[in-house]
Amino acid sequence: MTLTQHVRNGWYLGAWSDEIGRTLKQRWITDIPVCFYRLPDQTVTAVEDRCPHRKYPLSLGHLDDDGTLQCDYHGYRFDGQGVCVGVAEQADRPKAALRRFPLVERDGAIWIWPGDPELADESLLPDTSWLTDPNWTHVHGVVPLKARHMLLLENLLDLTHETFLHPTSIGNAAVAATPIDVTVDGDRVGFSRRMIGIEAPPFYEKSCGLTSPVDRWQDGDFYPPGIFVLNIRVAATGTEEPDGFHMKVLYGMTPGRGNETHDFYALGRDYLIDDQELTKFQHEQQLAVMQEDVDALEAQEIMYATDPGGTAESSIKSDLAALRGRRAVAKMLAREQRAQQDARIPHSRASV
Amino acid sequence: MTSPSATAPDTRPLGSAAAGTPSGTRRGTEFEGTVTVLARQAVADDVVSLELAASSGEPLPVWQPGAHIDVVLPTGATRQYSLCGPVGDTAHWRVAVLREPDGRGGSQWIHDHVEEGGELRVRGPRNNFPLRPATRYLFVGGGIGITPLLPMIAEADAAMAEWSLLYGGRTRSSMAFLPELEGHGERVAVRPQDEHGLLDLAGFLGDPDPSTLVYCCGPAGLIDAVEAHCADWPTGALNIERFAAAAVRQPADDTAEQPIEVELRASGTTVTVPPGLSVLKAVEQAGVPVLSSCEEGICGSCETSVLEGEVDHRDSLLTEDERAANDTMLICVSRARGGRLVLDL
Ligand code: FES
Ligand code: FES
Ligand SMILES: [Fe+2]
Repeated sequence: MTLTQHVRNGWYLGAWSDEIGRTLKQRWITDIPVCFYRLPDQTVTAVEDRCPHRKYPLSLGHLDDDGTLQCDYHGYRFDGQGVCVGVAEQADRPKAALRRFPLVERDGAIWIWPGDPELADESLLPDTSWLTDPNWTHVHGVVPLKARHMLLLENLLDLTHETFLHPTSIGNAAVAATPIDVTVDGDRVGFSRRMIGIEAPPFYEKSCGLTSPVDRWQDGDFYPPGIFVLNIRVAATGTEEPDGFHMKVLYGMTPGRGNETHDFYALGRDYLIDDQELTKFQHEQQLAVMQEDVDALEAQEIMYATDPGGTAESSIKSDLAALRGRRAVAKMLAREQRAQQDARIPHSRASV
Repeated sequence: MTSPSATAPDTRPLGSAAAGTPSGTRRGTEFEGTVTVLARQAVADDVVSLELAASSGEPLPVWQPGAHIDVVLPTGATRQYSLCGPVGDTAHWRVAVLREPDGRGGSQWIHDHVEEGGELRVRGPRNNFPLRPATRYLFVGGGIGITPLLPMIAEADAAMAEWSLLYGGRTRSSMAFLPELEGHGERVAVRPQDEHGLLDLAGFLGDPDPSTLVYCCGPAGLIDAVEAHCADWPTGALNIERFAAAAVRQPADDTAEQPIEVELRASGTTVTVPPGLSVLKAVEQAGVPVLSSCEEGICGSCETSVLEGEVDHRDSLLTEDERAANDTMLICVSRARGGRLVLDL
């Protein structure tokens, strides 16, 4: 197998909890086909979606009530641990097992570690308690994106694009005009942009009932390779923390197959949490904004894909967080590729 | 040499008078013509002051503090020098020229060829650095950047405004016009770096004050530092004039002024990088291919592995950890602390 172009030793958002039940769901993650399902005790399981017999997708098979997974091509059967328990054609059990991925299900999100299971470290996950905090409410989903993960990452780490790409909703001149502070902590990259006394962008005018001038904060945290959390605060100018309207947006930037990416999102707020109208409005706006991004990134993807190693890019100061993010991912990838080259024996496919 | 302003391009549009017209012509308050060097005097290490008068004997146009003139070199290129004599003297102009071995040759030519009794073609004056009225001024001059501040100080003094000057330089002997400044006593703080270290800008500038204007001229590092200190001052309080392309030509700290030896180990060659030239450019000139794009230390294209030597990081991209590791550098802007680097090129 050629070396992966995606970092695999890292947590990715694999699915929202409500997407996975007692059916088989296929989702490609870092070029690996993954089959998600739940066992009878509701624990979530993810296995490589290739039958060890002749690689038929297990997600096209079926799941028995007792949690046995059957491949519907030649009938290999696997227990809840992914170990082959038998096949109809012969009495002897084929010595085969599925590759199972480390998973963490927390606050309604299922995190997957597609790389070396030994390295999976839960402490690398961001705090997602606001997804279940009774004082918060949120909407979530996933949008397909035909563009490479890095383009999405750079989109989120350089929000100056809001001014140009989202002028009717969340962007206005203040975003591009306000420089960011960029911080780096190990592999993590953070930025903070504090816009003080600015005009309220349309989305916040509507969803918070604010009139200009406002103070608007955007503090982004990138947990490489694929998680981004944006902390937003909007308040009438001069209002002191903790007053004001708080929102958080979690993005799971999960590489799929080739240059496709799953663009997971959750948008939360700590005000008017019972206002269903507002929730609906915010969800529509979020999807509309994401669609603007998706359209842009897909157009951009074509330009990158058709210009491999081509013309040099020009960069400016506001690219700093995105460039640091790029470096963080590139470094992880380099580390991983070195480790793969150093390893004499390929990873075993034994069950975990 | 001194003080083309941030806004002044190197070459200004020529007036209508053809170059070579023997006597001065005037366009509005501007003069273009030949001046005679009445006096040439060394005023510091590598700094000469020149006293000029119109060769025709006519009076020169009046000017205001902060003004500069263009000196037109025999090559047709121009260099800007701040006027630093007494305002109101229409018989003479004074400029001071620092010899810059690695400049584009203008100051060298003046140092080597201009003698008492000789002639120069000049244009001007123009003013991109005017002194606005205020009750209190803080002047910060670095090196030859003192020149536009001298007439400003005289003006502030005459207007009985409160003022003080912080004057930095590498060494005392490199700092021009110290005797003239001595008469101002406590108001002038002379702070050569080899005696006092870095300028205490925080102490000198103090807290933002709406009645004070700050005027600064000097190398880019100094101007950047003053800009940073004045970030919270009211808009317009800080007035600066930069040397042209000063970022590389006149770095603020001493190490930058040293040439550096850069061994390109993989290519088996060593290049000497003079001050004013980037490592990137020197490597390119040596015929070793290297990627680059922004040439400002932002994009990371020119990142190069460092095998030996201590890097003086001047980019915006690397993190503190990456800098401290000293194993990589952005060669478009960064240099060496110890004068020598070995790169994996
Ligand atoms: S491919 Fe699955 S049983 Fe043959
Ligand atoms: S060329 Fe962009 S950092 Fe050096
Ligand atoms: Fe966007």
